[in-house]
Amino acid sequence: MEITRRQTLRVQRQSQTWTAAAAFLAPVLILLGVYIAYPIISSFQISLQKWNGISADRVFVGMANWRQLASDAGFWAAFKNNVTIMILSILVQLPIGLALATFLDFGGRRLNVFKVMWFVPLLMSSVAIGFLFRYALATNGGVVSTISRLFGGRNVDLLGSPTKALYAVIGVICWQFVPFYMVYFMAAYTGMSFDIFEAATIDGATRGQYFWRIALPLLAPSVKSAAILSMVGSLKYFDLIYVMTGGGPGTSTEIMATYMYRYSFKNFNMGYGSTVACGMFILISVIALATMRLINQGGDRA
Amino acid sequence: MSFKRFALRAGAMGIAVAMLLVTAAFAPAIAGESKEIVYWNIGTESPDREYYQYSVDQFNANTQSGYTVSAVSIQNDTYKEKLIIAMSSGEAPNVYSSWSGGPMIEYIKAGFAQDIDDMVKASPIYPKLMDAAWAQAAYNGRIHAVPIMNISISGVFYNKEMFEKYGIEIPATVSELEAACDKLVENGVIPFALANASKWTGSMYFMSLATRFGGLAPFQAAADGSGSFEDASYVYAGEKIQEWTRKGYFPEGVNSLSEDDGQAKQLMYQEAAAMLLCGSWYAGTFLADSPEFYQKIGWFSFPAVDGSDADTSIQIGTTGDQFLQLNCEGEKLEAAFEFVSYFSNDDSIALLASSNKIPATKNANTFEWDPVSQQILDACMNASATQLWYDQYLPPAVAEVHKDTSQELFGLTMTPEEANAKLQEAMQAYLNQ
Repeated sequence: MEITRRQTLRVQRQSQTWTAAAAFLAPVLILLGVYIAYPIISSFQISLQKWNGISADRVFVGMANWRQLASDAGFWAAFKNNVTIMILSILVQLPIGLALATFLDFGGRRLNVFKVMWFVPLLMSSVAIGFLFRYALATNGGVVSTISRLFGGRNVDLLGSPTKALYAVIGVICWQFVPFYMVYFMAAYTGMSFDIFEAATIDGATRGQYFWRIALPLLAPSVKSAAILSMVGSLKYFDLIYVMTGGGPGTSTEIMATYMYRYSFKNFNMGYGSTVACGMFILISVIALATMRLINQGGDRA
Repeated sequence: MSFKRFALRAGAMGIAVAMLLVTAAFAPAIAGESKEIVYWNIGTESPDREYYQYSVDQFNANTQSGYTVSAVSIQNDTYKEKLIIAMSSGEAPNVYSSWSGGPMIEYIKAGFAQDIDDMVKASPIYPKLMDAAWAQAAYNGRIHAVPIMNISISGVFYNKEMFEKYGIEIPATVSELEAACDKLVENGVIPFALANASKWTGSMYFMSLATRFGGLAPFQAAADGSGSFEDASYVYAGEKIQEWTRKGYFPEGVNSLSEDDGQAKQLMYQEAAAMLLCGSWYAGTFLADSPEFYQKIGWFSFPAVDGSDADTSIQIGTTGDQFLQLNCEGEKLEAAFEFVSYFSNDDSIALLASSNKIPATKNANTFEWDPVSQQILDACMNASATQLWYDQYLPPAVAEVHKDTSQELFGLTMTPEEANAKLQEAMQAYLNQ
């Protein structure tokens, strides 16, 4: 009698938990379904059609768009630019972010001024940053040109030069996102017990030794997830480049997202634009999953 | 038990909120059949904003149709994309602007622009507007749009004081133009103010050079597939652009300067540059920015190519700057047509003329114009033909390639042969579809 009653209670509680979970998750699931899952599925559908984006007339063309994508030099050039942005973003943003976070962590409250100052770029919208740097990097009267002239040099054309524009834009992207990784690593430092620092100091470790031998290995999981974040972010990047160069000059700063935008909304080719979007989705997923796997394997061995 | 009840209630509330959000998102689609005519325009700045608003107010105050117009102003750069999104999601406006050419044909084919040929020809606005304007509003010989606003043709604005200072006469041929440019470069003046991050601005040079070299025929042939963009006209245009770039006729970093930020006109205002080749709307821009500066400005049509027998009276541009498509049926279509007719009534046209824009009406000559505008108007009236802007005429996918390759020409990153071959490839791909 006693036992059955307890079981009933457990079953009852379980069912209650399920109902509550379902009820609380329902709004999120509905929103995710409507705004994330449905568009993705629908993009894949459209990628099999020839459609200009506005007419009721959609023709099923099978894999034709996908075949075109596979051999589209423009798309792969854009992908290569994405990869360049990705590699340089990780190589520049993470070390600088980590260095700033370490500096702030060692300095404590005295350095709050720097904390606030360095955080500012992250508070600005990408579009505003794009406009700002379009002026700052202008050939006539921009910051770089003015400095160059101060030292007797010539005007420097950054955004109008096909060889330099991509790197100029990457510089701005790094300026924008370094604060994010700084805050991210600061949070990771906060999560580390102060006892570890104390113990290391008592054992006679210098600050350098503490950082390289103790703090960095402990921060490794955060560094890994930061790398993945930066990677995915760089592969799907759009707004800043769209505002600053629009993919130009020519196609020298074209990335996958601007390429997709161009086909979908400028060329009246929603079918192929969707194929590009789906191609991006697949490429980003594969690269992110593969990297995650690779990083975690490395972690097991260590 | 009370927890369960709470959970259920919370869940029900959650779902209700979610449903509300979802319905809210789709609500505008449901409210489609109303007495409201939604009109999209790009009137975010004076004086255009006042011009659009005038017709909207007049219609709303005077109409007997029971409909009202609500105008939505959208910034020019994002206008076309927003329009496409609205169309694909079934929320297309009832009246909207296009610039005729390729995109207008796409809208018509997709069923978002009604055939209004009979309506137009029976209405009093038909005889008022220039025939060339109606010709640009036609598709397959039937009128699908109402032209509004000003005539725009490309031409060279120049600083009269600077020309005088350096002893430069208005050039009649390209070689005279080059001599003038060389003299300006020697004196440390940029010959042409150009902001080519926007791409279509550089296309003006390409079109002007090619048209003066070979007239209208090469372009028509290239666009319908009987000719090619690898024609001698385009080789000439590409080579001239690159030669001029090498000789320093354009500002440094020309491909990074943005027309939308006004970086070309700033060079004119700073008197760092002496000439500007662009659409004639610049007369209005200069006047609005500084009437004082406008006094210094002169205008000439792009000079003849030496040794070419191409007709130099041909102008490049558009008769009527915008074209209004009507996207509704029955009574609403009639009301919408009544509304767009207001743009061509006498007061409206006078308002346009007062902001120094030349209306595409047959009575354009009866208004009083300053010397620059009069010259532009005369050039329009005397033109044996008007070539629509390449980037508006060509199908959108080809136009994008044209703008890219013309930018590459200025950047010296492609040879004229490569650029033209790429453009031809895009044209061919479109024709093969």
